[in-house]
Amino acid sequence: MNYSEIKPPSIANRIYSVWFRHYRVYIKNIFSNGFPPFVEPLIFLLGMGLGLGRYLSKVDNMPYIQYLATGLPLASAMFTSAFECTIGTFIRIEFQKAYDGMLTGPVTINNLFTGEIIWCGTKGAFYSSAVLTVFILCNTLELTPGLILIPAVGFIVGVMVSPLSLLFTSFVKTINTLNFFLTGLITPMFMFSGIIFPVSNLPAWIQWIIEVFPLVHAVNLVHALSAGSFKTRLIFDIIYCIAFTAVVSYIAIKRMEKRIMY
Amino acid sequence: MRMNVISVKKAVKTYRNENSAASIRAVDNVSFDVEEASCFGFLGPNGAGKSTMMKMIYCRIERDLLLNSDISIFGLDPAKTPLKIKYLSGVVPQEDNLDEELSVVQNLQIYSKFFGLTKKDASGRIDELLDFMELTEKKKSPIRNLSGGMRRRLVIARALIHNPRLLILDEPTTGLDPQVRHTIWQKLRDLKEKGITILLSTHYMDEAFQICDNIIIMDKGKKILEGTPKNLLKDNMEKYVLELIKVKRNELHQFIGDTGKVRVDDLREPPNLFSDNFDTLRIIADKLEDGEYYLRRSNLEDLFMKLTGRSLNELQ
Repeated sequence: MNYSEIKPPSIANRIYSVWFRHYRVYIKNIFSNGFPPFVEPLIFLLGMGLGLGRYLSKVDNMPYIQYLATGLPLASAMFTSAFECTIGTFIRIEFQKAYDGMLTGPVTINNLFTGEIIWCGTKGAFYSSAVLTVFILCNTLELTPGLILIPAVGFIVGVMVSPLSLLFTSFVKTINTLNFFLTGLITPMFMFSGIIFPVSNLPAWIQWIIEVFPLVHAVNLVHALSAGSFKTRLIFDIIYCIAFTAVVSYIAIKRMEKRIMY
Repeated sequence: MRMNVISVKKAVKTYRNENSAASIRAVDNVSFDVEEASCFGFLGPNGAGKSTMMKMIYCRIERDLLLNSDISIFGLDPAKTPLKIKYLSGVVPQEDNLDEELSVVQNLQIYSKFFGLTKKDASGRIDELLDFMELTEKKKSPIRNLSGGMRRRLVIARALIHNPRLLILDEPTTGLDPQVRHTIWQKLRDLKEKGITILLSTHYMDEAFQICDNIIIMDKGKKILEGTPKNLLKDNMEKYVLELIKVKRNELHQFIGDTGKVRVDDLREPPNLFSDNFDTLRIIADKLEDGEYYLRRSNLEDLFMKLTGRSLNELQ
């Protein structure tokens, strides 16, 4: 028999298998896993709406609570993706040996992490939809057609933050080191990406630094979607999201290959 | 003549230490061939390079790409067509890596997707494998409720999901009780009967003796001996061993004075005595109290000790 003729599954099948593995493990505990994206926004609404919101009137020509509700779905997408690809990935490498299991099947490191990044996008879409739904049900958002695209932007955020997190995790030897990333980069990204307050009033040099954050570009997108006003700068935002994902994914997967395929 | 499924020529794997210039040769110029439908074993202590050698075969790590070194699996090169080789092979890694929260059947379902099995094909195959591995009753149990032996059997079932032509097992029975080990050995013999080529590593000499047609003994990355377990013993080792339990080396002369040719090992204290003649050792044993000796056939463990001066199960 000539074995060189055999055909392993297609690349789409390989990536899907990895995605499916993550999906299956996630929905096994859907109630505990689904709790945060539905309950966190309620807590935020109570705290911000009843508490802080009283002291603020309007931000960018909309009620503060509405401003906040537009951006928060993306914060949720960012956090879930960041945790998945830092703590989650680290546990899969060091403790569960989950990648060792998957890599015995016909998948490459490239397939493995592409599947994982797309899974983070899926989680980002799910989390942002959940948060969005809660805000709509609580009547905090003015219903505009653009809102329907927020989960799509949630997907993009999940996909952008995932390789960034993988890149950091690829250097990490002990799990506590991940705090430098989560507290040192993800928390400031949450604070300074235009979700809590508009960045346009910050000093110019800070704004330049913020432009590097992937999240701020996605936030620009949802604010435009929700308001239905589109500026040419959005094209730059979209290009930035794509370029950031491509470049960081490439480096992160190379790094992961070095870490795992020893 | 049966074809060679695996052909390894002068395989080398060097690990570079990130913090120093030193590098470690985990596998050093190892060559061997594995015939179709045979069972081939790597025997050696921890750190001998068994796992590294196997990982090079199942495309988990890349060998050092040297000019005169080559690995061919089903006529394919792991460095060039890893996907095809992985598609043809089933792998049981040293550490179980099942998804703890999922059930037995869910673990198998997830894994079947990697090989492009349809839901229907997978479900039939899963029932068949659970039956073969005697896990049908545990089909719906979460992994965390399984014993070590069950987990191991499940990982073997998982490796067989796509009907591989080659099964690679890295220390399949380490840490399992004797009963489970015998079950697993029987399953491996069944698989061999069905024409599957088996490659396994172990540091149990009885395991190698029980199921391997051919073995290589490895130590510190190098191959030290190759052959059938029987011949290796016959050619390199006396037939019988008298293990002394109380008598010290310096008291030996009182016992062996006139009993002819006995080899005394110079490693253990109390030492072991070796001879091809059972009666020679029997005469010595008769001078000892019951419980002060153990007279038995020699095994691969003794051979390994003789060759390397160290025990197989010793941690390095």
